[in-house]
Amino acid sequence: MAPQEMDVQRALELLHMSVFSQSVSPCGKYLAAGNSYGEIGIFSLSAALSAEAKEESKKPVVCFTAHDGPVYALTSTDRQLLSASDGELKAWNWAEIVKKGCKEAWSRRPPYRSSLEVPEINSLQLNLKDNSLLLAGGDCTVHAMDLETGVFTHALRGHTDYIHCLALRDQFHECLSGSEDGSVRHWDLRTGGQVQAIEVHKYEECSRPQYGKWIRCLATDSDWMVCGGGPALTLWHLRSVTPTTVFPLAPAQHHAMFYQDLILCAGQGPTIYHLQLSGDIRARIPCSPPALHSLCLNQRSPEHKVLTAAGSSHKIDVFTNFGYRAFSLAFA
Amino acid sequence: MTAVSTRVCYTLQPLPVGAVAGTQMSSDSSKKRKPKVIRTDGAAPDGKRSKADAEQDVKYYSEETEVDLRDPGKDYELYKQTCEELQRLMAEIQDLKSKGSKDSAAEIEERRIQSCVHFMTLKKLNRLAHIRLKKGRDQTHEAKQKVDAYHLQLQNLLYEVMHLQKEITKCLEFKSKHEEIELVSVEEFYKEAPPEISKPDITLSDPHHQTLARLDWELEQRKRLAEKYKECLTSKEKILKEIEVKKEYLSSLQPRLNSIMQASLPVQEYLFMPFDQAHKQYETARHLPPPLYVLFVQANAYGQACDKKLSVAIEGSVEEAKALYKPPEDSQDDESDSDAEEEQTTKRRRPTLGVQLDDKRKEMLKRHPLSVTVDLKCKDESVLHLTFYYLMNLNVMTVKTKVTTAVEMTTPISAGDLLSPDSLLNCLYPGDHGKKTPNPANQFQFDKVGILTLNDYVTELGHPYVWVQKLGGLHFPKDQPQHTVTADNSLSASHMEMTMKLLRTRLQSRLALHKQFASLEHGIVPVSSECQQLFPAKVVSRLVKWTAITYEDYLELSYTKDIVEAGLAEDTHLYYMALIERGTAKLQAAVVLNPGYSSMPPVFSLCLTWKGERTNNNDDNIRAMESEVSVFYKELSGPKPGYQLLTNQLQRLCVILDVYLETESHDNSVEGPKEFPQEKMCLRLVRGPSRMKPFKFNHPQGFFSHR
Repeated sequence: MAPQEMDVQRALELLHMSVFSQSVSPCGKYLAAGNSYGEIGIFSLSAALSAEAKEESKKPVVCFTAHDGPVYALTSTDRQLLSASDGELKAWNWAEIVKKGCKEAWSRRPPYRSSLEVPEINSLQLNLKDNSLLLAGGDCTVHAMDLETGVFTHALRGHTDYIHCLALRDQFHECLSGSEDGSVRHWDLRTGGQVQAIEVHKYEECSRPQYGKWIRCLATDSDWMVCGGGPALTLWHLRSVTPTTVFPLAPAQHHAMFYQDLILCAGQGPTIYHLQLSGDIRARIPCSPPALHSLCLNQRSPEHKVLTAAGSSHKIDVFTNFGYRAFSLAFA
Repeated sequence: MTAVSTRVCYTLQPLPVGAVAGTQMSSDSSKKRKPKVIRTDGAAPDGKRSKADAEQDVKYYSEETEVDLRDPGKDYELYKQTCEELQRLMAEIQDLKSKGSKDSAAEIEERRIQSCVHFMTLKKLNRLAHIRLKKGRDQTHEAKQKVDAYHLQLQNLLYEVMHLQKEITKCLEFKSKHEEIELVSVEEFYKEAPPEISKPDITLSDPHHQTLARLDWELEQRKRLAEKYKECLTSKEKILKEIEVKKEYLSSLQPRLNSIMQASLPVQEYLFMPFDQAHKQYETARHLPPPLYVLFVQANAYGQACDKKLSVAIEGSVEEAKALYKPPEDSQDDESDSDAEEEQTTKRRRPTLGVQLDDKRKEMLKRHPLSVTVDLKCKDESVLHLTFYYLMNLNVMTVKTKVTTAVEMTTPISAGDLLSPDSLLNCLYPGDHGKKTPNPANQFQFDKVGILTLNDYVTELGHPYVWVQKLGGLHFPKDQPQHTVTADNSLSASHMEMTMKLLRTRLQSRLALHKQFASLEHGIVPVSSECQQLFPAKVVSRLVKWTAITYEDYLELSYTKDIVEAGLAEDTHLYYMALIERGTAKLQAAVVLNPGYSSMPPVFSLCLTWKGERTNNNDDNIRAMESEVSVFYKELSGPKPGYQLLTNQLQRLCVILDVYLETESHDNSVEGPKEFPQEKMCLRLVRGPSRMKPFKFNHPQGFFSHR
């Protein structure tokens, strides 16, 4: 009776699982994915991509419970995997994870003011220039942490609602944050001050009041920025602070990234869009989850260069050729 | 005489002419001619005239011998010459005649004479040829006869040879009976046999005599053994007689004992010791088929030892059972009889093949006349009646169920299937649907009589659940299609406790559901006081409809696809549709009720109709609501054993629908007030990347937070 019960329980969990975050190991052979039950699954890309890949090799090599809450963000340094959940940042040594031992290396809690509710960490951003980590989430603040010492150096305050996403302009020592309050704020990391705030929902071109004003995704490339969410996905020129292109995508977008001369983005609906900077939709790539939360491009290992897409499903779609779904990794 | 001589002369005369014509052959032909002439001459003294009448025999004879002397080749030459001569003469005669001169008459005459002579020669030759032919024929015939005779002789000889050979092989192949007799070995023979039989001086050197001697010894021994056998038989008979006498004594004892028992009955009653009743039941139990007997014994034992609310009884006609089992050979006879009968019936009733097949089917599906009933009582006095049958020819057990409740209950429409005997015990153990026969051998039997599956007969016969077989101690391994199945007590015992507990849980959970459904149909979600803390005091959304739907209907719903694909919806499960409303928002919830409720949670699929249709496919929050009821169901189980799970799930669904509607962000561009003002206390309206709403209720403080 008990195993059967467990099976049904797990089947239900899988059915309602969401995968919020992904990160590729420094060697580029493994993909870590964090789901809504606080589990991190490590998938072997090299095994799944090899010619003799079986159904088994598309299941996680290791799967461990990292947090009590959902794993909202993952990132990898050259040694460690950093995972963030409700008010908590944990580090795991890649070398140990791969060898199937998964003890946390360290954990930190950003200094929070309120105690009634533990704010979540929605985004992690690694700043390699000064070996620091930016994290932001429920407390409307961007925290900067020195990875060497583990000390929280800055707290960038200004948002009035929780922060969804971060983007780094490391050549300018600046960072961008997108928030539920509908603004994208631009911070100077050296001084810790706000450079400017763009209230996206106030621009008529991209505002969509029926969806809300929240900014869910943000990506930047030199002077350009793309952001979306409640408002339509829009390409901005940062120096002049003007929306240059509004992309004609009806559903709210959850993740956007620059790739060569294209923008890849995904959101509500089982589709990944390839957009041209001019505003044309170059391709609509179908995928399996009904909504996508994260895209991850593996650039650390040329032979395993794939795009993975995760969302409201226990499946993670893998695109070897960006034009179509090759197969899906899946939690088990 | 002169005429003759002239004729001879004539015959002689032309010869040189012929010789001239015949060129080289002349000398030969002349030589030949000579003997003939001489012979004619030789015959001549008797006179040519005499030849015509008196001397014919001699002439014939001489001609016969002459044939041998003459060379046929030369005769042929002569014949040719004669013919030429004749031709020439004829031509001359014709010439003369055509000339028509008078003197030619004589010449013609002369030539005629000559040709006459030639004719004679021809005749002679002809005769000779005939004689030769005849002679040749005779010779051939004679030779042929000889050959035939020889051939016949040869055949006879061959046949004789063959016969002899056959005889020889027969002799060679002859097997003496003694070869089949297993004799003692030679060494043993010499060791044991007395010397007057073994005669070692002769037999050691002569194998033939040795064998004879060994056979003698064998005979001797067998005689001895036969005597012993007879002795044993007589002693056996003696013992049998003794037994008979003792049996008689015992049977005379029975009535006496009975009378004593009868007399003791009032005493038993008085002392509350129902020995007799139990004894009677055991008596009947003896006539149970082995699996039912095992079940009876084990259930009884379990009932006495662990479960006082379990009662076991035997039903059915003992007489029939006795008739069925009287002498053990009877069953075999029965089979052969029925076979014979079947044969007869096939002969008699060929046209009504269907009827005959039907009879065969009935015969195959026959139940043992006795059945075991097990009554499980629950705390609230409702009873689960289980009647176990044994299908004799299929060697499987089936069970029929019935529920009697303590209080008369009005049956809600949607609860139709809850207590129906068909589905009540479905999947008591995972995957045990009770529709297929658990005995793999049955499939072959079915094929013979054209039964596709047992499923068609299940309502009539009862369900052949696997656990029923186990209670009866029948174990059917999957990999072995045919094997002997014996009723095993230990198997039954090991499953008894677990199964009885499961049965009781199943009944109670079904009864609980039954009650809950009655109020659900009236739109009331019953929440017990223990579970009150799980929900806020004010819940605006209301359950307006609760109906049972069919599996097919469930499959057709657009938003249940994921559940079906995940294998969580099977046709043995029960399906319901709930409709929860608040204002203009209508939430449809398709519910899969696993037969293993409540240890298996009901699974919900939601579809919210409010400003468009929202399902888990296009709204992550709907997905979260589903997981709130389906995945985090453990906190909703309520007091053990969790029979309030379903109602609590529905209540939570109402609560989170409130939360969903109240926290939905308001589009400021649209005129008018919000349809659902926010009344619930929430720490944050949305949280995390997927912008979840706060569905988790925190009890004492009464606010909603995120999970």
